[in-house]
Amino acid sequence: MMWLQDYFNLRLVLEYADVFAQGIWQTLWISAVCLVLSLVLGMGLALARASRNPLIWRPVAGYIQFIRSTPLLVQIYLVYYGLPLIMPAGLLFDEVQSGIIALTLHTSPYMGEIIRAGIASVARGQIEGALSTGMTPRQTMRHVTLPQAIANVMPPLLGQTAVLIKDTSLLSIIAVFELLGAGLLMFSETVVATESYVTVAVCYLGIYAMMLVLSGIVQARLGGSAWQAN
Amino acid sequence: MEWLIDKWGIIEALSPFMLQGLWLTFQISMIAILIGSAIGFTLGVAKTAGFRPLNGVINLYLHLLRGSPYLVQLYIVYFVLPATGIAWLSFDSYTAAVVSLSLYTSSYVTEIVAAAIRAVPSGQAEAARSVGMTRVQTYRHIVVPQALKLTIPPMASIYVIVIKSTAVLSVIGISELTRQGEVAIMRMPGDIMFIYSLIAAFYFIYCYPMLRLSKWAEGRFGSVGGADT
Repeated sequence: MMWLQDYFNLRLVLEYADVFAQGIWQTLWISAVCLVLSLVLGMGLALARASRNPLIWRPVAGYIQFIRSTPLLVQIYLVYYGLPLIMPAGLLFDEVQSGIIALTLHTSPYMGEIIRAGIASVARGQIEGALSTGMTPRQTMRHVTLPQAIANVMPPLLGQTAVLIKDTSLLSIIAVFELLGAGLLMFSETVVATESYVTVAVCYLGIYAMMLVLSGIVQARLGGSAWQAN
Repeated sequence: MEWLIDKWGIIEALSPFMLQGLWLTFQISMIAILIGSAIGFTLGVAKTAGFRPLNGVINLYLHLLRGSPYLVQLYIVYFVLPATGIAWLSFDSYTAAVVSLSLYTSSYVTEIVAAAIRAVPSGQAEAARSVGMTRVQTYRHIVVPQALKLTIPPMASIYVIVIKSTAVLSVIGISELTRQGEVAIMRMPGDIMFIYSLIAAFYFIYCYPMLRLSKWAEGRFGSVGGADT
């Protein structure tokens, strides 16, 4: 096993174990906050996109197209350097907050499109049935359409969450400390590329594996009638 | 009015560099999509051949590429491979960019080609076999040509993913569009927002038609799912 040490020195990695643990924790909580925010905002975008008023849906559609057609890195720069200009003096965001805002703005159109597809997948009879029993359109949306829509699009939502977790790595470029940031720190202090970056990759793969397990559980639990519909 | 003249001056001063960056972005994304498609096509066809050990290896490859961020893959190709001490793995930044982006692209293409081949109705292959074609002939003349048509819409959206991923290459010093913008900001620090908006506009002009093409092709050729951009 000694030859392996020339390529991967585990003892060195273990010295940085707490740094990597902190990095993983940062990546996970930043992703979680972005996930919640972008689901809320995405829901809003999906509803606005479905509006019949062109003054509402056209700007929203334009925003969605803009986000989909420009790189995340450029969006992060725009938010990071742009926010201080439009914010009143004294109100400053640090890197983490700017990063969360940028990632949320980036992810919510994708979440919105997925939710929109989910709403479209709910059978018309469900909505008509709910309306005919005297539910208001709002109640129908809340109790009949949305629950089925979310159940139908759970797999793409989880997939997009996995993309979101991977996208947090770009925040290391604006000096947010997260998993990749931990690797960059280790590299700058020890100058051993293999140990630093391979460890980062292994941690990401671990998170990805957990997402795969999670999506397996969700599929098994939701594997009822809502799934046969697709 | 003065604002317009001022900004127009910036555009005039920067456009040669921006266009140079756009050209490099185009070049790298084109090479990556070509190599990535070649690898992805091969692996995708191999995946549907139904040979279990091979499937395991291909799935491992896909999980490795799908499970880690592209930025980390880029760092591994650029920093870790030279550390192995094997001479031909010591890429310069341009080669590292092309290699990592091609591998990343191939993971998407593999899944799309495999999905498209599975989407061809099985009656087609059965009919071909029953008129006496061999398995290889069936693939070559019946299944793959029909599958390729189905891959057109998702391939356009994958191309957009590739273009957007090239922005990340600025961190290893490739002077593509984003990097050119960063250099321009060093020259004109006062116009940081305007320059970043300009970069975004360049990307938008490049990517938006591709997304429209994908949408149009989806109506025309049908879709097999695939990646969301």
